[in-house]
Amino acid sequence: MHRGQQEPGQATASVADALVEARSAAETTRLTVDLLARGRVTGPVADTALLDQLDALDEADRALTTLVPPDVTSSDRRTEGLTTVGDLTDVVVQAREWVAARSGGDLAGADAVPADADALLDDLAAATDAVEQALSEAGGP
Amino acid sequence: MKKVMGAALGILTAIGGFVDIGDLVTNAVVGSRFGLSLAWVVAVGVVGICLFASMAGRVAAVSGRATFEIVRERLGPRVAGANVVASFAITLLTLTAEIGGIALALHLASSVEPRLWIPVAGLAVWLVLWRVKFEVMENVAGLMGLLLVGFAVALFLLGPDWGELLRQAVPPSPPGTEHAATYWYYAVALFGAAMTPYEVFFFSSGAVEERWTAKDLATNRINVLIGFPLGGLLSLSIAACAAVVLLPAGIEVSALSQIVLPVAQAGGPLLLAVVIVGIVAATFGAALETALSSGYSVAQYLGWSWGKFRRPAHAARFHVTMILAVLLGVGILMTSVDPVMVTEMSVVFSAVALPLTYVPILVVANDPQYMGRYVNGRFVNALGTVYLVIVVAAALAAVPLMIATGAGS
Repeated sequence: MHRGQQEPGQATASVADALVEARSAAETTRLTVDLLARGRVTGPVADTALLDQLDALDEADRALTTLVPPDVTSSDRRTEGLTTVGDLTDVVVQAREWVAARSGGDLAGADAVPADADALLDDLAAATDAVEQALSEAGGP
Repeated sequence: MKKVMGAALGILTAIGGFVDIGDLVTNAVVGSRFGLSLAWVVAVGVVGICLFASMAGRVAAVSGRATFEIVRERLGPRVAGANVVASFAITLLTLTAEIGGIALALHLASSVEPRLWIPVAGLAVWLVLWRVKFEVMENVAGLMGLLLVGFAVALFLLGPDWGELLRQAVPPSPPGTEHAATYWYYAVALFGAAMTPYEVFFFSSGAVEERWTAKDLATNRINVLIGFPLGGLLSLSIAACAAVVLLPAGIEVSALSQIVLPVAQAGGPLLLAVVIVGIVAATFGAALETALSSGYSVAQYLGWSWGKFRRPAHAARFHVTMILAVLLGVGILMTSVDPVMVTEMSVVFSAVALPLTYVPILVVANDPQYMGRYVNGRFVNALGTVYLVIVVAAALAAVPLMIATGAGS
């Protein structure tokens, strides 16, 4: 085993830990978008909450990219994890643009801005399902 | 009537002043991961801080001197030196966390990058320390911090299943998804957050600032025995809000912005605004208290002239110490370190330093030379001894648990 490599079980558990963090970020984003759509939260608080989730996803992504998988299974889990975290990050970035547009930003017609909260929540649900699936395959809770 | 008003004000400021960034973050993290299964630690911590804060207040009221001035005289420069080094380091870490907390709360309100708020927060803390009278500073920060009662209002508006919350709290046990070591790591962190050493430094030195005498012992007792437990209920409300909204959604708190989402869900933008003002006030008040405590601890150990009741020119080294502490805190935060991580470290290392703060208080409060007929009674000593055992156990377990659990991750 090379220096820096983990046992296969440990490596898969590390993938699961990163995906738990990603799932938490996905759920926080869902709650924030839902609250803003219902007028329960202010734009600055929603923007800050989403920015914090991008930081959390960045941390999860870093944990996955720096992992040295010791076997094929953990390598596959890592690749799948990286894909789902990347897709989720794209949706959170879109959510932030949607918040900016709602708060008066001049983003009319921009491709990245979802049409409404429902479209955004649908994208988010799909990305969250993918994270859940990857987490389940990595043996996470 | 004036006395009643004074006591009421003391109680309100004790409630508002109890919750700081350490309590906010730790209670929310714990609520989102463990529900109310660690509520018992808040209760144990509140009894402990009531016990030792009232003891420190009594020493100051009876002797007319701050507790840690007497510690050096009574226990010698070596023991007192160990105490002051550990307490100053922990208080500095806590001050750093509080300044970071102000910046994070202002970030929430404005979306403006926290690093831009950090120097502003540091400057504001110093200006208030320099210009504002002690009583005004203490009462305004405490009363504004009382706005955190918004968390309790939010909890009622959320309409939780109270039976389920009670089941989480009694009997206390870690949820199946969490490891026992992580559970105990957070138990130690919550205990450290409730019994942070700066609270007794501030309480005993504040009694001298306000010129308490033996006649004020009843006020001391009322402030502590009503104010701190009600402050503890605020802490539990924060944990319960997280347990009701964030735990079922699988959200693990890692940022201040997540802590206020249950409040927004329950009460909308108005309650959210109230709570954000409360967070700014609570962290600002705690930053003032920790900055003062760093000045108090060093000045009292070295025998310098100290106190807000003196003009800055007459307590220059005391004020310079506070300025340096604020500058150090701002400097640490400007390295881009995560303020939430600093907060988590500060509460754990507070637990490590607890014996060095609380053992000397118990010794001095038992010395008839200083206390006369106001020495500790049997019950207080028995309870104090039990708490010393808990405090030592928490101090010994803190670092091993932090290493074993990867700081609770």
